[in-house]
Amino acid sequence: MAELFHRKLERTAIGFVVAIIAAASVGGIVEIAPLFTIHTTVEEAPDMRVYTPLELAGRNIYIREGCYACHSQMIRTLRDEVERYGPYSLAVESKYDRPMLWGSKRTGPDLARVGGKYSDFWHVAHLNNPRDVVPESNMPAYRFLARTALDTGDLQRHLRAQQALGVPYTDAMIANAASDAFGQAAPDSPFAAGVTERYGEKTQVSAFDGVVTQLTEMDALVAYLQVLGRLTDAAYSNTAAPEQAPDPTN
Amino acid sequence: MDIDHDTLVGFAKSWGLFYFIAFSVCVMIYAFWPSNRKKFDDAKRNILDRDDRPWQ
Amino acid sequence: MVQQLTSGERQNALIILLCVFVAGLAMAAAGGSDPLGMHGVIVMLFGASLGALVMRSYYDRQPDPDRLSHYYDDPIKAGVALTLAWAIFGMFMGVWTAAQLAWPDLSFDAGWSTFGRLRPTHTTGVIFGFGGNALIATSFHVVQRTSRARLAGQVSPWFVLLGFNLFCILAVTGYFMGVTQSKEYAEAEWYADLWLVVVWVTYFVLFLRTIARRKEPHIYVANWYYMAFIVVVAILHIVNNLALPISFGQAKSYTIWAGVQDSMVQWWYGHNAVAFFLTAGFLAMLYYYLPVRAQRPIFSYRLSILSFWGITFFYMWAGSHHLHYTALPHWVQNLGMTFSVMLLVPSWASAGNALLTLNGAWHRVRDDATLRFIFVAAVFYGLSTFEGSFMAIRPVNALSHYTDWTVGHVHAGALGWVAFITFGSIYTLVPSLWKRERMYSPALVEVHFWLAVAGTLIYVFSMWNSGILQGLMWRTYTQEGTLAYSFLDSLVAMYPYYIARACGGLLFLLGAIVAAYNIWMTVRAVPASAAERQSDVPDTGLAPGAAATPAE
Repeated sequence: MAELFHRKLERTAIGFVVAIIAAASVGGIVEIAPLFTIHTTVEEAPDMRVYTPLELAGRNIYIREGCYACHSQMIRTLRDEVERYGPYSLAVESKYDRPMLWGSKRTGPDLARVGGKYSDFWHVAHLNNPRDVVPESNMPAYRFLARTALDTGDLQRHLRAQQALGVPYTDAMIANAASDAFGQAAPDSPFAAGVTERYGEKTQVSAFDGVVTQLTEMDALVAYLQVLGRLTDAAYSNTAAPEQAPDPTN
Repeated sequence: MDIDHDTLVGFAKSWGLFYFIAFSVCVMIYAFWPSNRKKFDDAKRNILDRDDRPWQ
Repeated sequence: MVQQLTSGERQNALIILLCVFVAGLAMAAAGGSDPLGMHGVIVMLFGASLGALVMRSYYDRQPDPDRLSHYYDDPIKAGVALTLAWAIFGMFMGVWTAAQLAWPDLSFDAGWSTFGRLRPTHTTGVIFGFGGNALIATSFHVVQRTSRARLAGQVSPWFVLLGFNLFCILAVTGYFMGVTQSKEYAEAEWYADLWLVVVWVTYFVLFLRTIARRKEPHIYVANWYYMAFIVVVAILHIVNNLALPISFGQAKSYTIWAGVQDSMVQWWYGHNAVAFFLTAGFLAMLYYYLPVRAQRPIFSYRLSILSFWGITFFYMWAGSHHLHYTALPHWVQNLGMTFSVMLLVPSWASAGNALLTLNGAWHRVRDDATLRFIFVAAVFYGLSTFEGSFMAIRPVNALSHYTDWTVGHVHAGALGWVAFITFGSIYTLVPSLWKRERMYSPALVEVHFWLAVAGTLIYVFSMWNSGILQGLMWRTYTQEGTLAYSFLDSLVAMYPYYIARACGGLLFLLGAIVAAYNIWMTVRAVPASAAERQSDVPDTGLAPGAAATPAE
């Protein structure tokens, strides 16, 4: 009898857990499940390319240093943002982003379209000490990036993991990951040609940190910053007008 | 995938609401069921008891 | 701690610690010079030092067989100590990062100390270290008292508490080394996440088994909130952190979610971490420690049930309000906004329930700083849930998003609600746990209270000002129809507020240090004799029946 009573009690607790799950899971399922079919509705971007190994390495440095804590990469559909930063961000532009880096705070400006806005030299100077270029800046100095050699040994593994998750890296891209990373930062080297061959003519190949002999983390991060917003032109051909920010005075 | 985006969105918008209403009705019934009243009154008073040992 | 375990349980503890040590060894071997290898060494050290602790007392006397007729308080005591240690660490990192925004050279030209790497040490330190340990410790206390049953395990409570702290250590040390998934409030990498799943499942089973042992027929509502916290955090954690490591010897992984899906998953997680970690669990504290401290039953038990299901149901929909005007589909944004506004109803029901419980005992709120902590917590809970619903409205969010207003809102909740209710609960818990008449110094509780209030207000007001100013500057147009301010103009305008914010945070940190000292001295004080000390609650001079007036 006592045993039966005990089991009844236990059942109520488990029934209660089931009720919590029933209440709590529905919201997430309803909102997230339809996003699995979002590819049927979002914009097409046939010209979209994947990140080069160097840009991917730069993106991982961006993540490692927590840049997303102060910089967003998501231009909202508001007029002032479009005028300040450029065409608003489309879903398709981050379809290869794992994780997405839309951010939640702008202690510094949005970076979704920073690519091509400044020279490589400016970025290097700015990262070395932001206050040399922008005296009022409160961004930390990242001098150590230029001193640290980029680890290219595991780039193949990075690309392979991305491929396994559905990012369209070809086997040739994976096989040449390390040499492509080197080539993208050494325009005059024999490895440079392979980069544009595999990733398209528009891929920027340059000595990002000004030194071609050594591939540094600075090269990678600047390469990444310079490609932001330039993987596809879809946002520029999008014609929907931005929204006017609500005006509190009327 | 056969189910397209609009179907899923439609389903989410309609059945999500029904689910919500049914759920809140169940909770209301539980909270206001007359015979539960004593249980709830006991529960809120019993935690103020001053013994500090598990009941055997 | 070890003395309370039988020799069989000591053996089990050693076997578990040996497994932890071996896992650390494997990580160190596989990881090599990767940060994963460093973490392996940390895991080994963790297992070895706890193993040494168990070994030292391994042949000590067996525990009193009578122990099972007492509540199991040792893990709670350790949990309180860890809560305070993490509070000081996490808040110190907060003050440091806040100061870096005003004086960027405070990173001293090193990689590990830049803002981007320190920020997650602050958020993880306070949310998981401080908040998480407080939740585990108080849940062990509340579930035993309200169920009239001892915890359903001798080693497992220690496993949950210390295992959770190992997760926190791995997370925080990882950030210094640059190991992060960059998912906000879930930055720890795949191996730490896997470990947390093991710990959390143990926690869930332990909690459920303790409830199943209960002698009270009804499960008290505080346990509902703890249960929801445990169950839902498990779901959120697993879904958000699904990832593919690039190899088993490296810390780096890629999440299985991409782009817009990832944004929704991250904020579905992020917002519900607020809901079920920072709200549900702390409401559980409110529903137990408030009535106990005030010696009055909760105003309306029915209302607490209704608001429980309201919160459990509504919160899950609200995450998308973090993504207004973004590339997330419009209908998801609207759904999130609608539910965020509806969320105000159960939230205010909880806050109102707490305040109405105090109605009639205002003199005690005036005289007792501990009860005042709980009172202020309920007020800030009401305020910040209102603010949250308000900020979820699309046009408001257009102004507030990406600005310091969000930071101010988070801290109104985190300082004003979470930290206040935690300190109120700890000040209630500590004397009863260590069988003392009262805290070592009620005056220091008072000092802590005013430091905390001043710190919170300075912090929140400076962030409200800076956030709204920043948002307005970004969207101000000149008469010619061009943007009036550059981004840099808005940054320059922030500096005074960033300095004020760092000062507010510093005051709050000082308060936490005062609390730690006071609690340390309370623990060290000579215990009152067991005969004098019968009750689990502070003596109010009134019989419990006389003080408790029915509210309905």
